[in-house]
Amino acid sequence: MPPSIHPVHLVTVLRQKSLTPAIVFLTSRRSCDEALQAFEHATDPLSPARQESITAVLDELTATYPSLQDHPLRKMVTACGVAAHHAGHLPSWKIAIEELMRRGCLDAVFATTTLAAGVDFPARTVVLTQSGVRRDQDFTDLTIAEVAQISGRAGRRGKDSVGFAIVTPSPYMDLGVLIRGLTGRPEPVDSQFIIAYPMVLNLLKAHPLDHIQSILAKSFAQYQMNAQAAHLEHRIEKLHAKLESYQPRECSDWLTQWSAYGHATRQTAMKLQARRHHPPEVRARLPYLTPGRVVAFPRFRGIVLRRYRSRGQRHEMMTVLRKGGVVAESPVADIMGVIDRTFDFAPASAFPWATPEALSWLTQQLEDLPKHLSFLTVPPAPDEEEGEVVKSLGDLFPCPTCPCRPTCAKEFKAANTVKQEWLHHTRTVQSLRTGLWHKFQERAEILQDLGYLNPAFKLTADGEWARLIRIDFSLLITELIRAQAFKDVAPPTLAGLMACIAYENDRPGSFPRITAALASLVAATRRMADALAPYDDPPLLRADVGGLAERWVSETTVTWAQLCRSTSMAEGDIYRLLSRTLEYLSQVHSLQATHPDLATVAAEALSRIRRGVLEELP
Amino acid sequence: MTRDELEQALADLPFRLLRRLGRAIAGPPALRMGKRRLMHTIMAGAEANIERIEAAIRTHQAEQQALAAVPAPAGGASSEHKSGKPADQRALLEGIGVPEPRPFVPDDWQVEAVEALERGDVIVSVPTGSGKTYVAVEATRRAMHEDRTVVYTSPLKALSNTKYTEFCKIFGPEFVGIITGDRRDNPTAPILIMTTEILRNLLYDAAGGEIDVRLDTLGLVIIDESQFLGDPERGVVWEETIIFCPSQARLLLLSASIGNPQELAAWLTSIRPAPCHLVRHQHRSVPLRAGYLHPNGKLTPLFRTVTMPPSPSQAVLHPEAKRLFTMFEEDTLYARRSG
Ligand SMILES: Nc1ncnc2c1ncn2[C@@H]1O[C@H](COP(=O)(O)OP(=O)(O)O)[C@@H](O)[C@H]1O
Ligand SMILES: [Mg+2]
Repeated sequence: MPPSIHPVHLVTVLRQKSLTPAIVFLTSRRSCDEALQAFEHATDPLSPARQESITAVLDELTATYPSLQDHPLRKMVTACGVAAHHAGHLPSWKIAIEELMRRGCLDAVFATTTLAAGVDFPARTVVLTQSGVRRDQDFTDLTIAEVAQISGRAGRRGKDSVGFAIVTPSPYMDLGVLIRGLTGRPEPVDSQFIIAYPMVLNLLKAHPLDHIQSILAKSFAQYQMNAQAAHLEHRIEKLHAKLESYQPRECSDWLTQWSAYGHATRQTAMKLQARRHHPPEVRARLPYLTPGRVVAFPRFRGIVLRRYRSRGQRHEMMTVLRKGGVVAESPVADIMGVIDRTFDFAPASAFPWATPEALSWLTQQLEDLPKHLSFLTVPPAPDEEEGEVVKSLGDLFPCPTCPCRPTCAKEFKAANTVKQEWLHHTRTVQSLRTGLWHKFQERAEILQDLGYLNPAFKLTADGEWARLIRIDFSLLITELIRAQAFKDVAPPTLAGLMACIAYENDRPGSFPRITAALASLVAATRRMADALAPYDDPPLLRADVGGLAERWVSETTVTWAQLCRSTSMAEGDIYRLLSRTLEYLSQVHSLQATHPDLATVAAEALSRIRRGVLEELP
Repeated sequence: MTRDELEQALADLPFRLLRRLGRAIAGPPALRMGKRRLMHTIMAGAEANIERIEAAIRTHQAEQQALAAVPAPAGGASSEHKSGKPADQRALLEGIGVPEPRPFVPDDWQVEAVEALERGDVIVSVPTGSGKTYVAVEATRRAMHEDRTVVYTSPLKALSNTKYTEFCKIFGPEFVGIITGDRRDNPTAPILIMTTEILRNLLYDAAGGEIDVRLDTLGLVIIDESQFLGDPERGVVWEETIIFCPSQARLLLLSASIGNPQELAAWLTSIRPAPCHLVRHQHRSVPLRAGYLHPNGKLTPLFRTVTMPPSPSQAVLHPEAKRLFTMFEEDTLYARRSG
């Protein structure tokens, strides 16, 4: 990032102004690493005393976290007093950096904004270099809550009398976002309640179906929706009063009658509208495009075989015979002009809309047409009047003899708007009040169809064990188990598959090759996921990452360093992948009672994963 | 104007005008765009909106000319007299350093939160770094005195680990257990640390009849970082945990500052046996100041005043910060165009 401040220069300035220790927030891991690398050539190392204190802390922590011993960044951190902290690092390394920071040993840490929540990682100063953050491929502005989390790290109680949030510009920084973030009120927290399959099974395990609605009613989702509904109900009452103010006249259903009339009017108008949809010059040609007419397209000519409009389409279409007997569909708007020539032919009631003899005859005629032909001059289309519509609807016209008709006619539009709004709100309120419950029923019925619930919505034998799988993609996993996909599976293959299902990042990379056994299991899983797609979103299901878990489990002599060398994935990501795999495997392991063989395989995989770095933390 | 000229003219516009244009062309999403994407969006819609764009360019040029024509007001005579002279770098850095050591005295809100737990559930919504851990630790201490089990949950395994170490130090390792997705250390201890997902699963098991760990004597559930309730993917777990939390246990929700803590409190009151007490404030225990650091190393206050403006509408940029930032924007845009 050329125009932004150079990291070494930044730290120098911060040191000069006593603004250290500081956390410098950057957008990506890469920029954190690059910032740190920039210190490799920095000339002034820390004083020996400070270097010693860093070494002492690291040595102390190495007792608990052996992976710190030979960490490649150790030297750098000790010499310069700066570090990077992001998700690409091992948890133990991050813990070490956090501890160094807490003890005041470091001057600056380059971190990504994912550092946000919870970690006790304070400093005197935070440096904001960006106003956005990468989220699912996209770059979005930092929220006020995020800026608050970041600036909340500035100023340590007891160690600082003042904390600093320093903004330093980079290209595309939106200062407004940061100003709002620093001075604004954080966003409200809104419910993100969703009804997942394990929730349905576990609720129905403990409660009969007719209690569920009252349990769902306790959710924050329902609380917020009730508030919304109450707000709308207030509005509905007002609308109702307004409707009442339109006195009922001779009849009580005048609005309905007039709506029916309005509806019919609109239908007719829509037909006209569709024609109007075309520009006037195209519309004007329509009457001439009868079967047998020769028309000119920008590059060729053709003979119209029929004209039509598909259901729901607004464009008029033609079936056209082209050179060489080709029959093609083409929008009317595509033609360049109507040629002053027609042929009579024998039409047919289905494709190609002409008898075979007629078709070949027409093809011949088309070939034989002279090179130069003049276009017809088409008079512009007249504008159809609303009056025509009304005229054609004469017999639908409501209450022709009613004395109230003029008043009704005058007030209908306004009253109908009120009524429509009233209807709309009434429907919204209904879905706000019962939406969750309906969603639950929908999911329960799917589980019933799949055989996890019996007709009385009690758990079947399969439901009893399936409810123990409470991770994402639980339905996929339980269906695989029921389909015997894991029969005779080996621990590395099972671990590999769980890794594939658990890993949801699409960052590309290179990985150890997966075995044929895992490949075929992944393929089976993909087929299953596709089959379940109507009921549940399928996982990303990357086969390649499975190779890491498979190798780590199958070759227990492989060291962490060797595993890291076999892939382009950052070690923090490998760690996270394996620890998610552990989580998934232990869910499978919880099925001991019903699936002892599978549980044993899972247990074996679990114990083989837990070694080296994976043993350092509980 | 050719497309190139147009792009050039757009690049010269200040961000605020670009944004306004973007909004007119692409609607509210434009408000979340950075400069590059804005330019891109505007150029994409240039054909249909050419008049609007040219108007914006003319406005900018007129402003620039007006600025050039009127000499800057001299010193004190400016209309911003009321807000006083803008703060300078010295004021920004004044008082920097380590405060006098003081004996630990809990803040009023901390005491209030711990005491309110005697009567019902409590939500604490205060800025990051205020000292919510103190409330958690004191509440745990009290629950321990009454022989009740305490569960402490956090959103991340890493956080659970840190808290585990911290609680072991305070209460002694024999009293603290940790449960993770694949492992349980000392799961019958009176204080259990876990992620929120794990607690949710324990509550499922308890409801299903398999009483696990010590949920029957559960007296206090501490949910740290409870603003995660609004997390699109995991928020539902926080909600479930709260809904299924046994009624005999007290809930202590610790949250960073959020916009609607009173709504959460009202919700808890509506579903829990005892009313929920809300402890909230926006006051930072260590005051914050904002600075602007230009790539050339020049540091100025970000705002006119050294203290933080109370709201975005009252936030006035420091003239020097504004000047430097505008300069930066112009430089980088120019560099992009020519490079
Ligand atoms: N009353 C207090 N007086 C002085 N320092 C305190 C007080 N309460 C907490 N602290 C300190 O404030 C720091 C931040 O506390 P922490 O609980 O981690 O904040 P958070 O609210 O973000 O969870 C800790 O170092 C803690 O020792
Ligand atoms: Mg905290």
